[in-house]
Amino acid sequence: MSALPIWQFDVLLLMLVLLFAVVALSIRNLMGAAVVFGAYSFMMCLIWAGMGAVDVAFTEAAVGAGVSTVFVVSTLYNTGATMQRRTGGLAFKLFIGVVVTVAGAFLLSALPDFPKWGAPDSPVNATVAPYYILNTFEDAHVHNIVTSVLADYRGFDTLLETTVVFIACIAIYSIMRVDNAKLETDEPAIVAAPRYDPSDSLIVRQASRFMVPFMQLFALYVIAHGHYSPGGGFQGGVILGASLILLAISFDLKFLLRQWSEKTLMLLVAAGVFLYAAVGLACVFMGGNYLDYGFLDSVLPGERDMARSHGILLVEIGVGITVMFSMIAIHINLASNGRFDRGL
Amino acid sequence: MGFLGYILISTGLVFFLGTTIGLLRFPDFYTRMHAAGKGDTLSTVMILLGCICLVSMSWLLALKILLIINFIFIGSPTATHAMMDAGNKAGATPWRKDSK
Repeated sequence: MSALPIWQFDVLLLMLVLLFAVVALSIRNLMGAAVVFGAYSFMMCLIWAGMGAVDVAFTEAAVGAGVSTVFVVSTLYNTGATMQRRTGGLAFKLFIGVVVTVAGAFLLSALPDFPKWGAPDSPVNATVAPYYILNTFEDAHVHNIVTSVLADYRGFDTLLETTVVFIACIAIYSIMRVDNAKLETDEPAIVAAPRYDPSDSLIVRQASRFMVPFMQLFALYVIAHGHYSPGGGFQGGVILGASLILLAISFDLKFLLRQWSEKTLMLLVAAGVFLYAAVGLACVFMGGNYLDYGFLDSVLPGERDMARSHGILLVEIGVGITVMFSMIAIHINLASNGRFDRGL
Repeated sequence: MGFLGYILISTGLVFFLGTTIGLLRFPDFYTRMHAAGKGDTLSTVMILLGCICLVSMSWLLALKILLIINFIFIGSPTATHAMMDAGNKAGATPWRKDSK
């Protein structure tokens, strides 16, 4: 990064972040709070971009500001945007206040033990980081160090992160999904008729029809070009998922479910994690350690470093598939209240 | 070329100022959305055009920014339209000269 002192700008952005956090908590209308949270995420995205962590900023913009806002909105669509303030007793409030203060004091007391930001002798900067910076290109033939750390050096982390996305999708599915046939006999429908249906509007439909191919092309570029520029499986998968969620909103859920049935969706969510784990297992069969892509050089083109590069690409594709279909499945569950018929 | 870029960016910022004032000062939902939809789109496009002038040596980068402009040019008015439509369906009453 440049030698410019970025901290003045950072302080301004951090103050905005705090402001947005307070506003989001104090606002009464939950739909408004969701939008303010989106703005909060954009501010965090700017802070990270200013620190040079472009990959993280990209993820925050796609996940935090983009898709999770849509998730919150589609949840509010089924629950209602007005908040019912629960009036707890004074003792309860005092208890909460004491708990928060004590926990905050403990956290703050640990603050001086951290190394200074960017200190050259901190454990991270003194041990692993120089190795990554010096050896990434010889080891894995990857220009973007973040990608090689994410998918190669720290491959286990990313495998488990992908599994977390998978588990989150399964958990939401098993909580939300209801059997339509059973529901109609037992209890009345909770979802009222849609208040506003974007699929009524020809303009929205045509515009999204025009925009979605560009979004998907860009998402594929992000996944495939993650070796050279910021991006990768998570970001690309989220953008792919978002493009299809846009279709689901501007047409309707049926339009999406015609392309992928519920069963196919859930199978594909699992398929991404499976691809990742299978690549790791293939390395074991080739005689290496788990997720040591260098040993795939007899099946993948190129020498050992190129094999690692291609292994990273395979793994990123797996991550992309899981994230994309998880986003779609979560959105369908939240928007249709678990009925998979109609919704936002 | 650089000078043109700065002019475009400053003009875009002026339009952004107009958008903000309009968003705060106009009397009802529809006029406010009108300010947001028109001013926001134009000023973002102008700022990005200014960025193209400033990176004029890199044609690939300029092409990418052009694609972003294209995206905003379609996306932003459509979003405004969707919000207007939703407001209309929710029953927001338009402002009249004699009201209030």
